[in-house]
Amino acid sequence: MGKYIEMIRIRFLMMLAYRTNYYSGIIIYSINIAAYYFLWSAIYGGKEDIEGLSVIQMTTYIAVAWMARAFYFNNIDREIALEIKEGKVAVELIRPYHYLSMKTMQALGEGIFRLLFFSVPGMVIVSLIFPLKISADPATWGFFAISIVFSFMINTQINLMTGILTFFLFNNDGLIRAKRVVIDLFSGLLLPISFYPLWAQSIMGYFPFQYISYVPSMIFTGGFAGSEVWNAIMMQFLWVAILFIPIQILWVLAKKQMVIQGG
Amino acid sequence: MSYVSIFMQYVGQYMKTRLTYRTDMIVEIFSDLLFQAVNLVFILVVFGHTKLLSGWTKDEIIFIYGFFLIPFAVFSTFFNIWDFNERYIVKGELDRILTRPIHSLFQVILERLELESMFGVITGLVVMVYAGQNLGLTIEWYDPVLFLLFVLGGSLVYAGIFISIATISFWSDSRTAIMPMMYNIGNFGRYPVNIYNQIIRFVLTWILPFAFVGVCPAAFFLGKTDWYLYAFLTPVMGIAFFIFSIILWNIGVTKYRGAGN
Amino acid sequence: MSNLMIDVDNLTKEFKSHSSRSGLKGAFRDLLTRNYTVHQAVDSISLKIKPGEMVGYIGENGAGKSTTIKMLTGILTPTAGNVRINGMNPHKERERFVKTIGVVFGQRSQLWWDIAVQESFRLLKKVYNVSDEDYKSHMGLVIEALDIAPLLDKPVRKLSLGQRMRCELAAALIHNPPLLFLDEPTIGLDVLVKLKIREFLKELNDRYQTTVVLTTHDLTDIEALCERVIMLDEGKIIYDGALSQLKTSWGEGKQIQFHFTSPKTREELLETTGSELVVWEPSENANSWTANVTNDEEVISVLIKDVVADHKILDLKLLETSTEEIIRNIYEEGVIHG
Repeated sequence: MGKYIEMIRIRFLMMLAYRTNYYSGIIIYSINIAAYYFLWSAIYGGKEDIEGLSVIQMTTYIAVAWMARAFYFNNIDREIALEIKEGKVAVELIRPYHYLSMKTMQALGEGIFRLLFFSVPGMVIVSLIFPLKISADPATWGFFAISIVFSFMINTQINLMTGILTFFLFNNDGLIRAKRVVIDLFSGLLLPISFYPLWAQSIMGYFPFQYISYVPSMIFTGGFAGSEVWNAIMMQFLWVAILFIPIQILWVLAKKQMVIQGG
Repeated sequence: MSYVSIFMQYVGQYMKTRLTYRTDMIVEIFSDLLFQAVNLVFILVVFGHTKLLSGWTKDEIIFIYGFFLIPFAVFSTFFNIWDFNERYIVKGELDRILTRPIHSLFQVILERLELESMFGVITGLVVMVYAGQNLGLTIEWYDPVLFLLFVLGGSLVYAGIFISIATISFWSDSRTAIMPMMYNIGNFGRYPVNIYNQIIRFVLTWILPFAFVGVCPAAFFLGKTDWYLYAFLTPVMGIAFFIFSIILWNIGVTKYRGAGN
Repeated sequence: MSNLMIDVDNLTKEFKSHSSRSGLKGAFRDLLTRNYTVHQAVDSISLKIKPGEMVGYIGENGAGKSTTIKMLTGILTPTAGNVRINGMNPHKERERFVKTIGVVFGQRSQLWWDIAVQESFRLLKKVYNVSDEDYKSHMGLVIEALDIAPLLDKPVRKLSLGQRMRCELAAALIHNPPLLFLDEPTIGLDVLVKLKIREFLKELNDRYQTTVVLTTHDLTDIEALCERVIMLDEGKIIYDGALSQLKTSWGEGKQIQFHFTSPKTREELLETTGSELVVWEPSENANSWTANVTNDEEVISVLIKDVVADHKILDLKLLETSTEEIIRNIYEEGVIHG
């Protein structure tokens, strides 16, 4: 376990080394949130609420969705793809750790860094500029915290899968890009899932995407209440469990492939 | 100058390589289409809940988006330099570039060509024609000429901004989040800038003038007379920003530190 | 206008680098303030190279070799000093200048990875604006001499390192430049390929009077090709002169190892040779002794004649201090004397 914690720490330090990244990050995230705030204000255009969310809740939703994204988002799919292409994975396999766990830990180190240095100060700045509705209820914060941890896990699992697929495709860039687009749209980052027409919502119910962004953001803004919160978190947990299966299968197949091709 | 023939030579090579990896190309075009579809979906879903967006109708917004896709496609084809820092500075590929007798930026552009992005032009035209028909727009004789001029201006605005950002790498090779986030900010040019407050409107018009890629020129074809001045500024802004970025680049190259130091 | 190929005066390159503090706390402090240190990678060096010379440029890692080469090829801008190569300033007139040089970086490919070698050549021919006739007459010879004709239709990624390196060399010569920079051209290559490349470079130098500047870790390359070496240490030139000169003033004499049929004592041997010109040292066993003498034909001949006349021997070995040892000695002691 110690080596994995070390992995988190190293990645954290690496992130810290990129100073320009840190300064520019908050500003650019704030601009992004600001732009969405105005877009949504224009969309509301004086309406009290749309699909049960007031304009202030909507702003809060957008702000928290982006700030949570800073935590769960990572590039390990690209990293894995690159390491496979450059033949480094074979070397990684002889090291005394589990490659996928190690990648996950690196992603976590990155996520914790961004949570502390982007999201928290960014959220403070954004809440000073825009009218947000931030709950004072510790239970809400607690559920939110649990929920974004699951978000991280689901998103990372999807990234691992996309990354491993590089073993079977000659060039995986297209798939990685497509995946990113799909996640932005169907995770609820750009639009709350409840805004979609009902038929679209029912299709999305069969996919894990909305459990990445929609669920934690709705919990934070108070869009979910009571048993809805519990149900949502249970569903997140369920998806984390389900997604383990295809990853394991793909990983076993990938290792076989590697033996044949020699990395 | 023989730059044109060198360009053709590179295009030829590019086609040869790309045709060897046909599936890649198809996947790439498909993921581009998907990306464009996502934005359309966003617009459609939003207009499921409202009739007007700060005075603009659904079809007008879709028309602006269609226009935006075209200069963006031209930009993506030629200025695919989002990983310039990683590829050329950190890995030191610029060393090689600098030992060849062609302007360094031109070589980088040639090496990073991505011709399949040109499909975005077709998507954009389809979207524009669809929205234009719903709006009952007509085409005057001067429209195609202005259209080309505006597309060129918009592409140069994009190119100017991204080249300028790439030049940061000459001074500091640390990775920054600026590149990917700039793509995000660029997307705001797709919407009418009058929905934003004054500061953001100012930024999107004069500092990171993404408004000149989408709404400003498109508004001309939509017959919004109060936008005409901005529409005609499009080529001017494009050329100004592009020249500025080239100057920055030329200064930057003298600050290049080489890899491994 | 001077008739020098390379004329460098007080060339200096400084790098400003930040040192990061250790640990988590240090990293936080780095966010606010940074420690900058200025490092002189190349420290006021001057050198002149005439057309047609083949010069070895050597030094340990980090001595400033690559940085110098990068300034000479127009990649980096010097912090101070003057560079004129072929009458041009590499950085100021980069695009015109690089048409007159060829560069091979052993660790970096000039060729396009995915396309066939000849396609890369064709592209470079366009880039350097080489006419069809020139290309045919000149590259025909190069391709033949390097024996790469069978490789031309293969994509670069399918080539072995040795094959690739020969193609790289050919690619750098497409425009038949009067000046060729080779940075570690033989790194990781097997002996046969090395020999082929050396032979080729000699031929090139004979035929076109091509000036060659070569950096390498492999001193046998330098011995085979260069009459002149320039040695660099911590950004400064510590030796610039003939390789043979380096050997006579630094080669610490010769050693002659005798293997006798029976055990010998120092006294017996001294009786034969005297002690003014030779120092005897015992070797592996009582039967073998080593004579240390100055590197002088007369002394060596007399010694061997005398020893063989007095004692029966089984074997005789002449040991010369290798260039590598000489260079190691120089770096250990730091300065050149003599």
